[in-house]
Amino acid sequence: MTLFSSELTAILVVIVVGFLPNEIWRVLGVVLGRGLDENSAWMQWVRAVATALLAAVVARLLLTPSGTLVALPFLLRAGALAAGVAGFLLIRRSVLAGVLTAEAVLVAGAWWLGVGG
Amino acid sequence: MQPSDPAVEAAPAFRVRYFLRGVAGAFSVPGCVLMATFLGFGGLLHDVGFPIGAGLLSTLLIWALPAQVIMIGGIASGAALPAVAVAVCLSGVRLMPMVVALMPLMRGRRPSLWLELIAAHFVAVTMWVEGFRLLPKVAVEGRPSYAIGLGAGLTAASMIATAAGFYLTGSLPGPLAVALLLLTPISFTILLVRNARERVDWLAIGLGAALAPLVANTPGGLDLFWSGVGGGTLAFFIARLWKADRA
Repeated sequence: MTLFSSELTAILVVIVVGFLPNEIWRVLGVVLGRGLDENSAWMQWVRAVATALLAAVVARLLLTPSGTLVALPFLLRAGALAAGVAGFLLIRRSVLAGVLTAEAVLVAGAWWLGVGG
Repeated sequence: MQPSDPAVEAAPAFRVRYFLRGVAGAFSVPGCVLMATFLGFGGLLHDVGFPIGAGLLSTLLIWALPAQVIMIGGIASGAALPAVAVAVCLSGVRLMPMVVALMPLMRGRRPSLWLELIAAHFVAVTMWVEGFRLLPKVAVEGRPSYAIGLGAGLTAASMIATAAGFYLTGSLPGPLAVALLLLTPISFTILLVRNARERVDWLAIGLGAALAPLVANTPGGLDLFWSGVGGGTLAFFIARLWKADRA
């Protein structure tokens, strides 16, 4: 499957659809500087929206996965994620420990089911 | 911005020695975790058939994995490009408070707008965590150069990982390819859990995830927009009502 016929189109899309709408917040951060109250209701709402958006991205990656992940049952994908969170919380809040726990559960499950081999 | 004094301006604000020390600072445990997640992003690029050159450019220019995944995922699902741009823009909002908070540490003694903009470009979650850990130990006059070196080191490592993930996915044995693709969702999830402090954060995580399947296939490819704005706004108001009730 190929998304764009030419590399140039893809580069333009990266700049216009990805780089510019994202970079504007960093520039605003520099320009507005300290004039911003981190705890204002407006900023709280903005943070809640950003958090919900990221959670929605994860949910979509789990529900409609791409590539080889499709072959694995939803429960195994979700279970690996839950195990990763448990690993993170139990092992000194270490990101590495959480990631490794999730991967171990996923690979063991895939191997057990004989999928993706 | 301070009005610039020509005599002061003559002294270089950018220092190579501090820049190189910053590059060296990128090679740490958080740097390795970041590389691993970009391996996963490279795998995703390969999976949806996105050209690698443009994919590498997205790591360099966007430099925020959630925005990159939203962009690639949105394009792959056939969403309208303006809708994808709106979703990317919403996901980038969290960068602004990070820049505002980290800037005093990166600014150095003589503020230079260009150096500040370049340093701000590198601000993302890893840079934010590592900046607060490393920058206070650096001499004030070297901080802008150190911050840019740290950011450049992290970006270069992530671009190498993006390319490696792209070319490895096709040739990896099944279980490892699967493991590579799980890296993105698991690192985002742990990030969310790690940053969640108040009730509103947990509500936003739950509502955003719960709304995602309900609004899937919304016309115009705006599903991420609806679950983000809808879930976030609901979480914000529920948390406020809760607080008002208690008060």
